[in-house]
Amino acid sequence: MKLINESSKTKIVNNLIVGILAVYGISQKRFDLNEPTLFHQIVIEVISPVQEGLASSKKSLSSLWDNYLLIVNTSKENSVLKKQISRLESDLTTMEEVRKENLRLKRLLSYSDEMSHQRVMAQVVGWDSANEFKVIRLNKGGKNGIKVMAPVITDHGLVGYVYRVTDNYSDVLTILDQNNRVDVMVERTRTHGIVEGVFNFKCALKYIMRNEPVEVGDKLITAGVGGIYPKGIKVGMITDISKENFGMTLSVEVIPSVDFDKLEEVLVLIPNEVASTPIPVKIEEMKQ
Amino acid sequence: MRMRFSQLLVSFGITLTLLVLLEVVTSTVLPVMGWKEYRLTFNVLIILFLAIRMDSPLVPWLIMGLQIIHSIFSIEGWALGTLAGLIVLISANYLKEVLHLTTAFMTMFTVQLFQFIWYLTVTLIICLKISDFDKFGLILWSFVPGSILLSLVSPLLFWFLDNVWKIPNESGPRGVEI
Repeated sequence: MKLINESSKTKIVNNLIVGILAVYGISQKRFDLNEPTLFHQIVIEVISPVQEGLASSKKSLSSLWDNYLLIVNTSKENSVLKKQISRLESDLTTMEEVRKENLRLKRLLSYSDEMSHQRVMAQVVGWDSANEFKVIRLNKGGKNGIKVMAPVITDHGLVGYVYRVTDNYSDVLTILDQNNRVDVMVERTRTHGIVEGVFNFKCALKYIMRNEPVEVGDKLITAGVGGIYPKGIKVGMITDISKENFGMTLSVEVIPSVDFDKLEEVLVLIPNEVASTPIPVKIEEMKQ
Repeated sequence: MRMRFSQLLVSFGITLTLLVLLEVVTSTVLPVMGWKEYRLTFNVLIILFLAIRMDSPLVPWLIMGLQIIHSIFSIEGWALGTLAGLIVLISANYLKEVLHLTTAFMTMFTVQLFQFIWYLTVTLIICLKISDFDKFGLILWSFVPGSILLSLVSPLLFWFLDNVWKIPNESGPRGVEI
């Protein structure tokens, strides 16, 4: 068998090569957009069905936690009875879940009817495994017509935009992420600003001048600037305004309209190419 | 103790499989159970094991391999963690004479210390990339809860990986050579 000799020189050379590759990789990395490599496409397609399966077995996992672990120390008879109750409760919960899901989907569909986009409904199957990025994975991808930069919404408001797409899955950069900047305006005063993700499921509204009459409770909607999000989608509500002793702008805290803690289904909006293509106007018509 | 190349491939394969399983737990199982705010970044813990317990010129490449698999589950990509892992590896090389993971407490303490170096590096690079140092404290703080939990589970994971990489206890702080 081949043995690899260790030496300090080899260590330094290896450290240097990998270090240089890493620095180059970081310099090329974009946190706002990504074209997946063939390797990523293949592995995501292989692994994501497992995530999808686990995400759809939410009830079973909750049931395992709530029911099984709590009855571990009870007597056999009690265990049988509790299992019966648990099964009945589980049936009830399932029915309740179906009812709630039905309601959510109805609301989602009726909300999106107002928009001039094609819609793809998708389920959230995973979250980014790194702490500093707020990205969700959806169970629909390129085969369903989803494209990079497509806006993602729920009936409550804006979720984010599609960051990378494989054939059957797509990753969405949510508005909670610090790399996602959304052009917004205050619905009441029409003041423009930028919403950025901070932490603890909150956002910050930036570039609001100190003399702007914004108030706690004001609602924010997308401004339609920037070419990603259509105008008028709910983004969040101002929950705190503080004026520093210095600087020209206010420090504004925003709670997103979407409850990311309970996010299960979303709608991906695909710009309608026919609608978005400018209609050529004849010179004669212009003259008239 | 020296390790054969074929054994290295087997051990690395098991480690990669473990990483994939733990990433699925972090990215899907825990969020489904309601844990969405903080992540348990198991890739950091596995790379810390390699950096602290292994003594081989191949470790940088192993770190890179683990980070490439991690990039499937995170938009962080492979490069950021690879650089942070290298910095931890170099730090561990300098501190190898004083690193003695003989008790669970020492393992937790050492892991917490190196996690701090890791997250400091990552936070610094992210702030440079997004050109916003106002968020430095917030980003760094967001790592704290997860890192404490990771330190608590580190003795168990290190024990498992010690067995996977066949590192004997009596071999001291820096176990196996390849």
